[in-house]
Amino acid sequence: MLPDEILEQLNAEFPCREFQLRQLAALYSPQLPSPSLLVAHGLTATGKSSIIKLYLSLSGLAHAVVSSRECITGRHLLERTTSSCLDALDEHYDETNDRRPYVRTENISALAVNLAKMLEGREKFVLVLDGIDRQREMPHTLLPALGRFGELIPNLSIILITTLAQNLALHKPGVPHLYFPPYPRAAVVEILSLNPPKIFLEPPSLDLYPDYTTDVAAEDDAWLWNRFLGAVWESLSKHTGRDLVSFRNTSMRIWRDFVKPVVDGTFGTRDFSRLMVNRKHLFQIDDAVLDRLITSSSTTTQTNGVISVNSSRAAVKRNTIQHSLPYYTTHLLIAAYLASYNPSRTDTTYFMKHTDKRKNKRKVRTDAGVSKSKHRRISRHLLTPSPFPLDRLLAIFRSLLEGPVPQLADLGTQIATLTSLRLLVRVGGVGTGDALDAGAKWRVGFGWEWVRGLGRGVGIEVGEYLVGGVDG
Amino acid sequence: MEHQRSYIYTPPESDERPAKRQKTDKGHPHSLRRERLQTFREIWAEQETRIQACLKTTLEEADEATQENIVRFVAAAAERDQELRASIPTGLIVAGPSIASHGPYFERLGRQVKESTNSAYLVLTSGESPNLKTLLKNLIKKATSLADDDDDDDLGRTTGPSRNGPRLLDFDLGHLQKWQRSINYRTIVVAIQDSEAFDSHVLSELIDLLHAWLDRLPFVLLFGIATSAESFEDRLSSNALRYLEGEKFDVTQSDEIIEELFSTTIASTDVALRVGPNISRRILDRQKDHVQNVQDFFDGLKYAYMSHFYANLTSIFLRDDLAVKNLPPDVFEAVRNLPSFRRWVGGMLEDGRAQDARNALQSDKYLFDQVTQNVTSGQAILNAISGAALVLTRLRQSLQISQKVPLSSIWIKAASGEMLNSPMLREMMLSVKRMSSDKFLQLLGSLQDLEQTYFPIDLDSYQSKLDVMISENDGAVLKTQHDVRNDTLRTTVVAQKVLLSKHKAALSEQDKAYSELVAQFQDELDQYFNTTFIDPKELFLIEILMYDLKSPHTEVFQPKPRFAVERALAAPHDYLGCECCSGEGTRDGEAALFSTQPATAILYQLYVESGSVINAADLWSAFNAMAGGEEEDDESKTMALFQRALAELRYLGLVKPSRKKTDHVAKMMWKGL
Repeated sequence: MLPDEILEQLNAEFPCREFQLRQLAALYSPQLPSPSLLVAHGLTATGKSSIIKLYLSLSGLAHAVVSSRECITGRHLLERTTSSCLDALDEHYDETNDRRPYVRTENISALAVNLAKMLEGREKFVLVLDGIDRQREMPHTLLPALGRFGELIPNLSIILITTLAQNLALHKPGVPHLYFPPYPRAAVVEILSLNPPKIFLEPPSLDLYPDYTTDVAAEDDAWLWNRFLGAVWESLSKHTGRDLVSFRNTSMRIWRDFVKPVVDGTFGTRDFSRLMVNRKHLFQIDDAVLDRLITSSSTTTQTNGVISVNSSRAAVKRNTIQHSLPYYTTHLLIAAYLASYNPSRTDTTYFMKHTDKRKNKRKVRTDAGVSKSKHRRISRHLLTPSPFPLDRLLAIFRSLLEGPVPQLADLGTQIATLTSLRLLVRVGGVGTGDALDAGAKWRVGFGWEWVRGLGRGVGIEVGEYLVGGVDG
Repeated sequence: MEHQRSYIYTPPESDERPAKRQKTDKGHPHSLRRERLQTFREIWAEQETRIQACLKTTLEEADEATQENIVRFVAAAAERDQELRASIPTGLIVAGPSIASHGPYFERLGRQVKESTNSAYLVLTSGESPNLKTLLKNLIKKATSLADDDDDDDLGRTTGPSRNGPRLLDFDLGHLQKWQRSINYRTIVVAIQDSEAFDSHVLSELIDLLHAWLDRLPFVLLFGIATSAESFEDRLSSNALRYLEGEKFDVTQSDEIIEELFSTTIASTDVALRVGPNISRRILDRQKDHVQNVQDFFDGLKYAYMSHFYANLTSIFLRDDLAVKNLPPDVFEAVRNLPSFRRWVGGMLEDGRAQDARNALQSDKYLFDQVTQNVTSGQAILNAISGAALVLTRLRQSLQISQKVPLSSIWIKAASGEMLNSPMLREMMLSVKRMSSDKFLQLLGSLQDLEQTYFPIDLDSYQSKLDVMISENDGAVLKTQHDVRNDTLRTTVVAQKVLLSKHKAALSEQDKAYSELVAQFQDELDQYFNTTFIDPKELFLIEILMYDLKSPHTEVFQPKPRFAVERALAAPHDYLGCECCSGEGTRDGEAALFSTQPATAILYQLYVESGSVINAADLWSAFNAMAGGEEEDDESKTMALFQRALAELRYLGLVKPSRKKTDHVAKMMWKGL
């Protein structure tokens, strides 16, 4: 394929990247010499990997791509590099290499030797290391060594793809860099406009609307999608996630809700402004910009209007306790929360059973008084939980319950179970084998909302026991 | 002592040996042991098949819906075009906080998934996955051994180092790719059984990695979640969240399963040996308060059965094939010592049947006949109680009495003989009196499938009578005279005072006839409950028919290790039982300090009285004042005792050297927690 044709095709597939493509074409043409090392960098979703991979495969150069995401250790990366280079050579020259000399690639020197051996007397070979900055357990000599591979193996050129160029310790001056800048607004909208989703999942029957042909529908889809993208960008994505993937996800999440009135027949396909006014709540809540595990489509598609959306959110929040815990387990968890968030010196005020001569006052002098003038105090339940010893947890647990609780081994079992559920987290005394060692310290692994619900389930208002109270 | 590796302990000599319980019983505790074991095995096997059947049906019923959904989900994931996979299909299985039941659940799920879809099913637990590398190794090992099971010709494939080229490291998912190429599953289901116990970093990395391989390996992830899907979501990095596309599945709670198990095992109408109300209550309370676990329930029940046959010689009478000549006289002696035997004989004497009483006391043959007869009839009575409990539960359900009481608590109440004259029964009878014909129909319908043996009322005749009445009334609802809807309030104003008077609407002929029918039904029901709900404790030979001893059960299933240690230290007399520790003026149960107690116990009591950091010198002087002799030169011996006692406390984890204050030890454990 001629270089111009490649560029044309690539430009069509990856719009708004002409400059980078031209640079690539200039640096990696089959005829001209290539730099021994190139750093391609740019933020996520800027098309680095896809463009480079597609360009190389179209250009007909022998090349191999190794993704660091798939490599667990540095050694793993080296091994995979060797084998994928061999695979690439096999494929490119349509031959079978003798692999016996390449059984092991223990370290970077072995890689250098192996690569030199297999590339000897061949044409230019491009090795792409994708996401090298994310490599797990990378030996610190790897990058400088890779930088100097070109000196040892003249026909090898390496492309490193990273997010940031600054933190690559190459220790080598004059390495060419190719920057993939984030897409500006116009570019993102243009790219996403290439494939507008459909307004009508099932096209309206041709009998009723004989003139609404697929062409007209496609035109409507594109028109509405384009305007919708602009609205989403201005109201949501501009402030939350400007990259292509976030923007696309956000748009796709609210698209179906957005066009619902059109599908229902309330508005026409070109009534954009009325549609915006009607669906403005979609652009006011943050549901669309959050990445959620469970796609909300199943819960919110059935609902319409602001109220139902809010109620479904409330339902999600309320539903945090899926199954009821056993009675004492619930109290243990509440006690653990209190032990984590109350300073231990206030325990006598809150949990002493017998009535003191001084009236048992719930108001505790908070230490905020001193620093109030200087700092705005952060509500306690927003801070990290502080560790507590096991006996304090048990003491609070007992004072929460009416009547005596036998000192059963079941309590210990429950604490161990809660630990394996990470609802209680052990922070101290990790070295010892005993899970219930008295020297160990613990912390809770859940938040205020959850414990409040838990308390209400067994008739305890946790806020009443919390020092400083709870605002909201 | 610290300089010596070991030493010879010479106990202080005393003339008297400590008072110990001497074995006085000359009986053979092990007589007929083999037969009893045999009986236990037979009866328990019966119970066990019942449990298994119940587990199979209830669990499968409970699981079926969710499992079907999950299988459908996996199948749908397999249908998806491999090229278009942008995210890993993920099932979040919220299986509840009883993590012990997760294992069996995932096993069943795996069977289901493998049967219904062409998938590989690999379960990972947190124990075998401390980090990403080990996790992957395990995953690969499980997958490839799975393949070896399936087809034998694959056995020769080496995963070890090959001489022919670069080998894959043993955590490289390339292994899986090779394996997948040879077997070609539609999906590879990776089930993370206890997702909470995984390091969240490891999970995020795993998701990242599986996503990277998604274009070559068709992964589906299943996460077992004990808490909630939301808290699981909070633990993952947002990057990992983008790679997943989740769906949530809820699994039935285990307390429903326990309830179901209870009704088929303990409260069943056909059981040879009953477990008494006290133990049942204990087992259920434990399920509610501490653990939710089917296996524990099961173990508790089995242990009760075992204890009964092990410790009770008379339990041999639960066998069917007994003959007098095969039984040793011990057995009859044991029966004659039962409290219920005494009551029985006493009753005979009161009735003036002196000869029968004499026979029972003297003739083994006569006693044998009586016992076998009474065991059978006693079993029938107990079964009838269970049946009545079931009837009561059904009635309450069909009358829609608002306070929901499960069969288990009704049964426990009935079995402890408290059901008669209880408000629960009274309330029910009142609503029976008031019920309208549509409710009556429902009620008859709900009792229809009950076994007739324990329920004497002829439902069919009522049904036909009722049908006739309703058809005469043109299908309209009939009411009884006690129905509240028949009452109207009449207000009259007399001398500027409002008088309210209740007024009964006139009953139609049909209603009157219906009222009579209901009254008759109610009478029969009342009689039935009155005759059935007797106190089983009054029954002759209840010791054979019912096991209701608290003692070994509590100690076995709910031990109190911390309490035991604290009690031993605070009140050594309870364990040692010797003169020296009891003291003269011991207040009952209250721990007291004596110089004659063991040194550790003395020190422990001083320890209990002190604050969170203890000055060692203070402790020593207090100890010396308590345990030391009069002479000054005796101090070295006391010091040795003190040091040993302190070392023992440290060994028990009660004290720890403190860095906060010099010469102080930190108190680690408080008494009574």
